Amino acid sequence: MFRLIAHRLLALVPLLLIVSVLTFSFTSLLPSDPVDLILGDTGTQEQHEMLRERLGLNEPVVVRYFQWLGRAAQGDLGTSFFNSVSVTSAVMQRLPVTLSLTFVSALIAIIVGVAAGIAAALRPRSWVDRFATLGATIGQAIPNFWFGLILVAVFAVSLRWFPATGFTPISTSPWEWLRSVTLPSIALGLSSSAAIARQVRSAMVGVLQQDYIRAARAQGLSTRRVIFRHALTNAMIPVVAVLSFQITVLLGGALIVEQVFAINGLGTLAITAVRQQDIPMLQGLVLVMVALVVVVQLATDVIYGLLNPKARPS
Amino acid sequence: MNPSSASHIRPVPRRFRWRLNATSVITVTTVSVLVLLALLAIFADWLAPYNPLQQNLIKALQGPSAQHWLGTDDLGRDVLSRLIYGCRIAIIAAAEATAIAIILGVPLGLFIGYKGGWWDWVVMRMVEAIVSIPGIMVAIVIIALLGPGLHRAMIALGILFSTSFLRLARGVVLAEREEVYVRSARVVGAPDSRILLRHILPNIAPPLIVQVTLTVGAVLLAEAGLSFIGLGVQPPNASWGTMLNTAAAYMDLNWFLAIPPGLAIIVTVLSVNLLGDVIRDSIGRGIAVGPRSETATASTDTDVPAAGAAANPLPPREDEVLRVEGLRVVVGEGAGVPVITDLSFGISRGETMGLVGESGSGKTMTGLAILGLMSAGLRTTQGSIVLNGKDLRTLSRRQIEQVRGNEVAMVFQDPTTSLNPAFTVGSQIAEVLRTRQGLSQKQAWARVVELIDRVGIPRPEERARAYPHELSGGMAQRIAIARALSCNPSLLIADEPTTALDVTVQQEILDLFRDLQDEFGMAILFVTHDLAVAADICDRISVMYAGEMVETAEVGALFASPRHPYTRGLLSAMPHASDRNPPLPTIRGNVPRPGSWPTGCRFSNRCDFRIAACEARVPLTGTDRLVRCIRADELQLERAS
Repeated sequence: MFRLIAHRLLALVPLLLIVSVLTFSFTSLLPSDPVDLILGDTGTQEQHEMLRERLGLNEPVVVRYFQWLGRAAQGDLGTSFFNSVSVTSAVMQRLPVTLSLTFVSALIAIIVGVAAGIAAALRPRSWVDRFATLGATIGQAIPNFWFGLILVAVFAVSLRWFPATGFTPISTSPWEWLRSVTLPSIALGLSSSAAIARQVRSAMVGVLQQDYIRAARAQGLSTRRVIFRHALTNAMIPVVAVLSFQITVLLGGALIVEQVFAINGLGTLAITAVRQQDIPMLQGLVLVMVALVVVVQLATDVIYGLLNPKARPS
Repeated sequence: MNPSSASHIRPVPRRFRWRLNATSVITVTTVSVLVLLALLAIFADWLAPYNPLQQNLIKALQGPSAQHWLGTDDLGRDVLSRLIYGCRIAIIAAAEATAIAIILGVPLGLFIGYKGGWWDWVVMRMVEAIVSIPGIMVAIVIIALLGPGLHRAMIALGILFSTSFLRLARGVVLAEREEVYVRSARVVGAPDSRILLRHILPNIAPPLIVQVTLTVGAVLLAEAGLSFIGLGVQPPNASWGTMLNTAAAYMDLNWFLAIPPGLAIIVTVLSVNLLGDVIRDSIGRGIAVGPRSETATASTDTDVPAAGAAANPLPPREDEVLRVEGLRVVVGEGAGVPVITDLSFGISRGETMGLVGESGSGKTMTGLAILGLMSAGLRTTQGSIVLNGKDLRTLSRRQIEQVRGNEVAMVFQDPTTSLNPAFTVGSQIAEVLRTRQGLSQKQAWARVVELIDRVGIPRPEERARAYPHELSGGMAQRIAIARALSCNPSLLIADEPTTALDVTVQQEILDLFRDLQDEFGMAILFVTHDLAVAADICDRISVMYAGEMVETAEVGALFASPRHPYTRGLLSAMPHASDRNPPLPTIRGNVPRPGSWPTGCRFSNRCDFRIAACEARVPLTGTDRLVRCIRADELQLERAS
């Protein structure tokens, strides 16, 4: 297992490097001069030059990239152009918020998706199957932020079961944290649970037709054991393979759903950064998100290896 | 083709007809929705009751009324009018982003797929990097570069989605460039661009169409999302996303504002996705040209379960473990189409009975019917399956689970697929011992090693920890046999257990069956199409044809003097070491499918000895050996030699 993790970690280093080059060069292409952005029309020629020097903008792009990368490797993602806060601390401050949404919604998507997928696969063409399939098809067409608005209208404004806006850190109160992330996570997880349900259904239908399922039943193993141990273990292999993609989608979706619930996470940070063309902030955000995706990929790869003995390096 | 089958072609099976309708209903509905959308977009200027930008602050945030069918927004603008103009934005957005994605992605994908090498490596690494960033973040970064607004946001989405077109085009090229016609075009010196255009591009069309539908749906959702967070369409212009942005701010005052644009998005995306599903299915059907499902054809019952059926019960044999009596298996609803009819036989302790026939004769299904493990749609409707004094057909699900493994077990044809690939082979045997016999983990494992050793596998402790894919076919089949025998069943059903193995391994496995039978004393029902194998291992052989038994005899008697023309045909089709020169005779035609059996003798349409009387149902006759042929006595069928 350690070999598997080490193997995957090594493969992820080049990915991070390429992403860093891409984001750095992209953001360096920004049409406006950051010095003009920061100082506006005010400031003397001298002040402009000083700022330019301080930001290191007089160096060649390649040098700037390596300086930035070197500092990023040490955890310093630079300083925002606008309020002189450190990008690292700004991102780290919002990270738990967005991670909460992503994590809880992934949990919901997996539980709902797997349950619905199994229920549909056990009785193909039954009303359960038709209902689940129809639900999955519609679920994938509903914009997550719209679903969030409806949830707010029903469960926050009318029924007052949940807060309509805001986020409570888990360290403040785990219960309030759960209440504050429930609606946004359901909104966010809907389309992923639909996608996972479709995947689980088709994988499960395929696995249930395999000889080893019939062989397990021929040995007199109980139906429950055959379905949940013998069939599900195999059916989850293709599902886990695409799970990291779904979690990436959820992370992106969280940026938008945060806006519905006025939650101050990475999404708000990103939108402000775009409007202000805050280059260091955008660079830092992209890098942190890719790092998250990489961690998720690593985790799903390990689970994949655990489920699928053929995938383990020998 | 037998003559009677023509009459079976006419009725279209119900289920197929229903599916055809469901598909066409979906197609018509989704296309209508999309056409309506296009019409609204084109004729928005005429259809919209108000100017979508015209404010009227006195009438702000009103609910639906006669003047404003869908109410008004925060600035008193007519929601219906804004919704109609939103169609225009949706279509422009989808068209723009998809077009950009295709224009960027397809040529680049074709190029790197065709060139390969360094180009391919660099571009693909970049694509991987982009794909590992959440899509909306990629769009946000590009919008930071270009600035917000509909067209700029669509350029951003176009760049984002071009990665999927790029990968698609590259994949098609990689598959096609090795095709013979492309290679020969290259050999005759056709220029690269010409090869790409003439030979590869046409093959991209089907997956491209599917990808377009997927992209359009995703673009619509992404555009709405970007406009919602204020990075797409800019106010005061009306798009569904910006309308939702407004609605979000006034949820507590007028929640209805969120409904029309939300439903517009859902219905549009749903239509595009469903249409995509239909297109994908129809393209998939075009590629996979295979035989249609056979089971649903016609339902004429050719079987006559007359008095003669059960009137000729076989005399019970000594020390019988299993007795099957008058078994009937059907497929489908209602009376169903018979698949196995009037099947009776018994097996004694320590005896091996062969069930022989061509594929489609019903021999494998007989084994599965005993275990109650037939595929969905198949069921037993008549007869009894008595194992150790219990009729398995009358047992509840829980009761039959108790019988399986403990009293009857099965070895399947392909050992590499009948062992679960996710678990070690030892754990699969141990699981049976623990759940069925209540052994502890430790006891079970000791027994597993013992069993694996018993079936002749060296280094059993080590092999018990192997996964199925790490074992050879012969080794895996030994494991499957060990698992089947783990609870010491009185009946072992072996379904073509040597067919998937190498010839040299086949003999070893047969020897193993014989040894184990001497030791454990179980009865074996040995299903095979291979008469040589049956001759080797069986004490008695039953020949099956088209769902019924046509002959049963001791193995020596059957080979020396087959009495049914079909048995004789099978025997003469066997290769022999002695006669090398003459071509092997074959039985003309195929086993007729269930539902198209001849009404009389089911072999009559392939039989050389057919007479008028064969048109009537033929009973199984005889005492010590049974045969289902009215001319059995008069025909002296000797082994053709």
